[in-house]
Amino acid sequence: MLDILEHAIDKGRNLGATYIEIRGESGFVEYIQMEDSRVAALTQRLERGVAIRALADGAWGFVTTGNLELLDKGVSDAVAMAKAAARSRKEPIKLAEVRAYEDVIKNKPKRDPRHVPIEEKIEYMNQMTKTIRDYDPRVTAVTIKVRTSSGTKYLVTSEGAKIQSPTLLVWTLPWASGKDGIRLSAARYEDATTDEGWEFFERIASPEVIGTAVAKRLKQQLDGVAAKSGVFPCVCGPRVIGTLAHEALGHLAEADITMNSSFAGKLGQVVASEGVSMTDNGIDMGRVGVSKYDDEGVPASRVEIIKDSVLTELLTNREYAAKINHRTTGNARAESYLFPPIIRMRSTIFELGEHSREEVFEGIKFGYYCTDFRGGQAQTNASFQVGIQEAYEIVNGELGRPVTDLSISGIATDSLYKIEAVSKEPFPYDVGRCGKGQEAFVSSGGPDIRFGAGGITFGGKS
Amino acid sequence: MVKEKELLGLCSYIISTGLKAGATAVEALAQSQNELETDIELSEISSVNQKIGTEIAIRLYIGKRMGSAFTNIPTKDSVRDAVGLAISAAKVTTEDADWISLPQPQAYTTIEGLWDDGIAKTNPSEVVDLTGKLISKAATSEPGLVLIRGGSGTSSHTSAYTNSNGVSCSERGTTSYLVEAAMAQTESGATPLVVEYDVRRDLSLDMEGMVKRVADWVRICKTKVNGRSGKHTVIFHPQAYAPLFGYTLIPSIRGDNVARGKSKIADKIGDTISSELLTLVDNGIIPGGAATSKADDEGVPRQKTSIIEKGILRSFLWDTYWANKMGVKSTGNARRNMRQGLVDISPTTLVIDSGAREIEEAITEIDHGYYILNVQGAHSSNPESGDFSIVGNPAFLIENGKIIGAVDGLMVSGNIYEVLNNIVEIAKKPIKLFSWIGPEFVAKNIDITAKE
Repeated sequence: MLDILEHAIDKGRNLGATYIEIRGESGFVEYIQMEDSRVAALTQRLERGVAIRALADGAWGFVTTGNLELLDKGVSDAVAMAKAAARSRKEPIKLAEVRAYEDVIKNKPKRDPRHVPIEEKIEYMNQMTKTIRDYDPRVTAVTIKVRTSSGTKYLVTSEGAKIQSPTLLVWTLPWASGKDGIRLSAARYEDATTDEGWEFFERIASPEVIGTAVAKRLKQQLDGVAAKSGVFPCVCGPRVIGTLAHEALGHLAEADITMNSSFAGKLGQVVASEGVSMTDNGIDMGRVGVSKYDDEGVPASRVEIIKDSVLTELLTNREYAAKINHRTTGNARAESYLFPPIIRMRSTIFELGEHSREEVFEGIKFGYYCTDFRGGQAQTNASFQVGIQEAYEIVNGELGRPVTDLSISGIATDSLYKIEAVSKEPFPYDVGRCGKGQEAFVSSGGPDIRFGAGGITFGGKS
Repeated sequence: MVKEKELLGLCSYIISTGLKAGATAVEALAQSQNELETDIELSEISSVNQKIGTEIAIRLYIGKRMGSAFTNIPTKDSVRDAVGLAISAAKVTTEDADWISLPQPQAYTTIEGLWDDGIAKTNPSEVVDLTGKLISKAATSEPGLVLIRGGSGTSSHTSAYTNSNGVSCSERGTTSYLVEAAMAQTESGATPLVVEYDVRRDLSLDMEGMVKRVADWVRICKTKVNGRSGKHTVIFHPQAYAPLFGYTLIPSIRGDNVARGKSKIADKIGDTISSELLTLVDNGIIPGGAATSKADDEGVPRQKTSIIEKGILRSFLWDTYWANKMGVKSTGNARRNMRQGLVDISPTTLVIDSGAREIEEAITEIDHGYYILNVQGAHSSNPESGDFSIVGNPAFLIENGKIIGAVDGLMVSGNIYEVLNNIVEIAKKPIKLFSWIGPEFVAKNIDITAKE
C-alpha cells in the first residue's frame, strides 16, 4: 500500500498544496457481544480505507474514502477544499518543522486475534459470564463485549515521511446487572491491550480476573450505603486519580483547548500543591495509547504537563506547536482513516510522591476513598466530573462501608492546591476510551492522592 | 453516492447468495453517504472535510445460529466474501433458542420532506460561505465571545434493506446543520463552553436564532455567582435532560432491557411513573426530524409510540428480535451498528408535550433555584438504578425571580424516577435538538451540592 500512497502524493505535488499527508489502513476487525450467554453480535470484517489531508493556502482539506480507486481524485478534492477554506482565513495555518522519518515497525503478538478460532472467543465470554453469575446469586443479567483488531497502518507525506506500523487491539467490557429486593444496580469493568495479542486474555485479563472484578463491584453497589453530599476530605485511588489526571488536567493541557481554557497563559506558573507532578507519557511502550510515532509521523514523547507543581508543557500537534511556539510532542492521533488527527492524550498519570499509605489516610475523621470510576467529563472552565462506581467511607483513617454510585467534581485549578499527600507506592494503570469527536484508547493512573476538604465536592444524597 | 436501485440490487444479491450458501434467513442493509463539513477552530475555518462511502451490513441465520458481516466495498465480489464470513460465523456460534424470525413485509407510509435537492447539490464553496457568515455574525454577537469550535455541514444518503421474508425497501434523505461552541474569558478564568446548533432536512437553517442564543448564554456566564447546597427548584433545559434521560430513563424503556430484567419500570405499564404533566412520545415520522425515516434498520416502518401519557407509562420501544420473544410488535426502533453488526433498540425523536406558560413566567416565581443549561457526566449515571450524580454546567442561579449569573461546580444528584415525580411545570415553547423536541421543565426538591 505504501507505493500506492507515495504515487498519489507524487501526482498531487503540482496541485499547489504546501503539505499532503495520506494515511492508509487495512486490517481485520471483529466485534462480539454476548448477552446472558446468547451471542447478540458476531461480526468479522476486513476494513480498508484512506484519509487524505492537504494544507493549501493556509487551510486544511480532508477527504476520507474506503475506495482506493478514488485516491487520486481524493487528493485533488482535498487540495481544492483546502483552497476553498483558505479564502476566509486571516492567519494561515503553519506547521512546525519536523524531521521526516522512514520506518517500518513490527509487533509480535503471540496469538494474533485474527487467527484465534471464534469458538475460543465465545468460550472466553461464556467463562466470564459464569464467573460473574457464580459470584453472587443476585446477578440478573450479564453483557460482555469483546473487540479485537489486527492490521497495518501507513503514513506517507509530501515531506518524505514514510511509516508503516501495526494496529492491534484486544479489548473487553463486561456489564453486570443485579437485583436485591426492589433495588436494581449495575457495574462495569474494562481492560485492553494495544501491544499484545489474544494471550493478554490468557495471561492477564482472564475470564476469572475480569469477571470477578465486575462482579465484586456489582455486589458493592447492592450492599453499599448512599454517599453523603457535600465537601469531604478524600483519597482517590489509582483508577480514579488517573481518570482525574485525564479529565481534570489532561484535556486542559491539550494545546487546542488550553488557548482558551482556565490554563491559558499559565505556562511556567505554579498550578498545584508542592510535590505534585503529572505526565502524559508517550514513550512508555506497551501501555495502551502509546505508539512510536503519532499520526502526523512525529515521534511520541514524554510530556511533563505539571512538574514539581509548575505547569510546564502542553500537548501539541504540528499546527499548534507552530501557533504557540512549543515543541512538537507527538500527540496527534486519529481514531481511524475516517477521521483527521487531532491532539489527544496517550498515557496520563500523576507521578509518585513521598508519603506512605498510612500517611495518606492518617487523620481523616470522615471522608471517602474513591477506587473506581464510571466515566468522567471536562469543561473549559476547569470544571471536572468523575462518576464513581466503587468507593468506601473513611472513618478515623480506616476504611469503612462501601458506598453506592456517586460522582465527584471540582474546579481543577482550585482542587490541585488542595492536594495534601501523594503516595510513594507503585500503582496499576487503567484503560479508557476518550471521546473528543472521535474515539481514542488511552491509559491513565497514579498513586493514592489525598485531597483536603474543599478540593472535591461529592454529589451524593443530602 | 450509490443510487437506491443499485443498493437494492446488491442487497438482493446478498439474500440469494446467502440462501445458496446454506443460510435459512438472510437480511442486508446498505447505506451510501456523501458528507461535507467545515470545521471552525478559534474563530477561523480550519478545514473542509468530505466523507464518501458505502456501508453494507449482513445478518444471517442457519437454523437458529446467527452470523453477521460488514463490508465498505459495494461490489458483488466483496459482498459475496462478506456473506462467506457471516456463514462461517453462524456455523460456529451457539444456537439462540429464542430467535423466531426476521421482519415480515408491512406497508410503509409516505413521509414528505426527507430529501432536498439543494442539500444534495451543495459544493464545498457554499459550505465555506455559510460557515464564514457564521464566524462574522458570532464575532459581533457579544463582546469577548470566542468561537472555539463549530461549523456547518450537509449530508445526503441513500439506503436499502431487503430480507429473505420478502421485505424490500429503499429511501434517500438529506440533512444540514450549523453548530456554534463559544465561550469568553473572565477575570477568574474562563466561562464554560456554550453549545447551540440547528439541524434541518432542508437548507432553512436558523443562523440568527442560534447565534443570538449562544451570545445570550455566554453573557450570563460571564457573571460568576455562588450556589447554595440543599433541596431546590431546578429548571432543566432539553440540552441538560436529553443526556440525563438518555442514560437513565431511556435505557429502561428499551424492550431488550425490559425483557432482561434490567429495567426498573418493566412491570409498570399502566402505572403512574411521573408527574401527570409529563407526556413523552417517540415519534419516528415527525416532519423535519433528524431521525425521521420511512423504515428502521430492519426495514420495519417507523411509527409514533406513546411512552408516557400524562404520567402513565404506556409502552416500551421494540425491535423485531425482542418483540418476537416477548409476544409484542416491533415499534420500528431497531438501530444497527453497521460495522459491529449489533442490532439494538434506539429512540428516534423523543417529544415532550408543551405546557401553558413561557419559562420566563415560571422563573419570576422562583425565589431561589437553578437553571441547568447543560450537564457533565450524564454517561456515568447508573441506568439500572436510575441514580445520577452530575455537574450542571453551564448552570445559572435564579434569585428573586431572575437569572443572576453562572455557578461553577454545581452538582445535581438524585434518582431519575424521583425527578419525574417532582416535575411541577413544563414550559410552553418547544426547543428542537437532534433527537429531542421539548420545552424546559421545572422540578422541585432537587438535591443541589454547591462548591464551597
